[in-house]
Amino acid sequence: MHRIALAVLAIVAGATNASAQSMRSFDTFRQLHGETRLHATLDYRAGGLRITPGRANELYRMDASYDEDRYSPTSSYDAASGIVTLGLQPAGDGGLRVVSTRQLRQDATVAFAPSVDLDLALALGAVQADIELGGLSLTELTMEAGASQAVVRFSEPNLSRCRAAEITAGAAELTVLGLGNSRCDRFALEGGMGKVTLDFAGAWTSSTAADIKMAVGELTLRLPRKVGVRLTLDRFLVSFDPAGLVRTGNAFESPGYDGADRRLDIAVTTAVGGVKVEWVGGEESP
Amino acid sequence: MPPSGGAARARTFARAAALLTLLLAGPSVARAEPGSVPAGEAAVGLVRNFWDLVASQQGEDRTARPEPRAIEPAPQGAPPVDLGDLSNPSRVESRLKSALAPRDGAIRISVSQGRARLGDYRIGAADQIEGHLLVVQGDADVYGRLHGNLVTVEGDVIVHPGAVVTGDILTLGGMVHDMGGEIGGEARTLRHTSIVAPLRAVAAPQPSALETIGRRLAGVIGVFLTLAVLGFGLVMFARPNLEVISDTASHSFARAFVTGLLGQILVIPTFGMLIVGLVLSVAGILLLPFAVAVYALLVIVGALGGFLGVAHAMGETYTRRRMALGAMIGSPNSYRYLVVGLAAVAVLWLAWSLFGWVPVAGTLIGGAAFLATWLLATAGFGAALLSRAGIRENFAGRLIPPEALTDEYLWATPQFGVPAGRRPGGGRTPTRGL
Repeated sequence: MHRIALAVLAIVAGATNASAQSMRSFDTFRQLHGETRLHATLDYRAGGLRITPGRANELYRMDASYDEDRYSPTSSYDAASGIVTLGLQPAGDGGLRVVSTRQLRQDATVAFAPSVDLDLALALGAVQADIELGGLSLTELTMEAGASQAVVRFSEPNLSRCRAAEITAGAAELTVLGLGNSRCDRFALEGGMGKVTLDFAGAWTSSTAADIKMAVGELTLRLPRKVGVRLTLDRFLVSFDPAGLVRTGNAFESPGYDGADRRLDIAVTTAVGGVKVEWVGGEESP
Repeated sequence: MPPSGGAARARTFARAAALLTLLLAGPSVARAEPGSVPAGEAAVGLVRNFWDLVASQQGEDRTARPEPRAIEPAPQGAPPVDLGDLSNPSRVESRLKSALAPRDGAIRISVSQGRARLGDYRIGAADQIEGHLLVVQGDADVYGRLHGNLVTVEGDVIVHPGAVVTGDILTLGGMVHDMGGEIGGEARTLRHTSIVAPLRAVAAPQPSALETIGRRLAGVIGVFLTLAVLGFGLVMFARPNLEVISDTASHSFARAFVTGLLGQILVIPTFGMLIVGLVLSVAGILLLPFAVAVYALLVIVGALGGFLGVAHAMGETYTRRRMALGAMIGSPNSYRYLVVGLAAVAVLWLAWSLFGWVPVAGTLIGGAAFLATWLLATAGFGAALLSRAGIRENFAGRLIPPEALTDEYLWATPQFGVPAGRRPGGGRTPTRGL
């Protein structure tokens, strides 16, 4: 029965394709003219999003493909304050359309100059995001994700010291990789429901505190062996396996936490779900 | 007037040759006289030649630009277009679309604190322009300084080394090529604009009546010659099938027409059912591409074969009637029938070709030709379906199969005492599928 329904939908989608096609391309960039600081706001409601370090001679760039009937590209820069607003805003009334998601899939690639101190604020709707922040000079990150599937990476060390990275996720599947490269003094995550993986691997040039609040869902913590880890857990109906962490008072600590040069203090508050600890780098457990 | 095929081909070759020459010459020139040809120039030329080549292959001529000139200002009362804020490209595009709508066969536009140009435009290295610049249907080559925003409609912006644009750049249906110049503001590109579509409509001259007649005649003759060639092929390789379709159309025209009508209605639902049926199984999914191709082929063969069958029937009927009236026909065969039938249909379209430009009457003639062709094609399609592509003779008026035609009627019928001989085959009369 499902197959029949899918097949009928596919036929209808094929038939309506010709009239419904309204994808358009929009590109924008600004040359770098000695700016040292940029506050970027990216409002992206639907589609695929990719963020990468950009060219050395461009302050920012966005290449987008968008549904003209429903969205409108935004790109405005205030030179006095160094604020740029990029994204795709809902516009008009596209009406109800029956097409496959691939046909009208919006996509955008946004790039920022690696050498400019970047305050990045992301507002994501129903978005599949691949966000590479490694190699940028990130000074602050604020990310609000709705029903998103996002991967945030710090593949290379952050070129600047980052004050804080704050992520708010609704019903999301979120993976943050290489948080040890982020050089953020503080990391905060507030999640509604979903699946969250936080990978703290990386170069680890300084100690970090992470504050994680999740209502319902599964939280996986990938902890590096080379730093001292202290985990404080406030939980209700949550399964937890310490996986090598040793209980010390109200917290769980990795062996040698007190004498470690770099420390990771994690405070987890969660109601329903599970907290899983995995170790990365070296042996199975510390 | 669009370029002729020969001219376009010659131009394509010339561009390909130029591109090749440029590719080969580029490195040697750079080696011989470093700095004499700026790297940006060569790159821009290369990119342009490439896109010209691609565009000419796709049938659209990027170089077919209007003569460069200033656009006349909008008439009194029409507000000027403000290009001061380009942060919302969609809004700018919408404003320009209404402002660039042709009035009295020409476009007129006033740019607030700026100027508007039609066709390619170049700001020389020594030039300094104050204010915003709008370039319509042309590229903007910037070598000098522009103190303002720059907008192109269906044209690229090329900012050459040493050039300065202090404001923003927006290309609607073009690209921004930053070759090393300085862009003070933001460079935005919104591709595939439809702003200039109305301009093209104005620019393209309406063909004369004679040209229209010539084009239509050429089209009609071409189509019917193609049909004749296909028909001859059909006669040569599938004559019995064509004759059965033809006979079915003659003897059961109404039935064939109704069947054809139903067939037309059911073509797409049947296709949908076929797809759904195949999707339900793994093997079916694998067969899907072949099934789609075969189905499309069958429909085309059915429609085409049916139409040729009807043409054959028309030609045969006409020829036989003439022979019945005592006319001497050289070789009354299927080839002649086809030619006569197709010519009969072509007459309607030739009439439309000649008089189609006449107001009202032309439309009526065209409608009549279309209706007649559709009627015949529908009946032909139905005949092809009824006769299963000329395999079944049930509706072809051949009620007595050949096997039933024995020479028994020549025998004397015995009156008394002579036992009748048994027929071969147990006394059954051959029916041949009836």
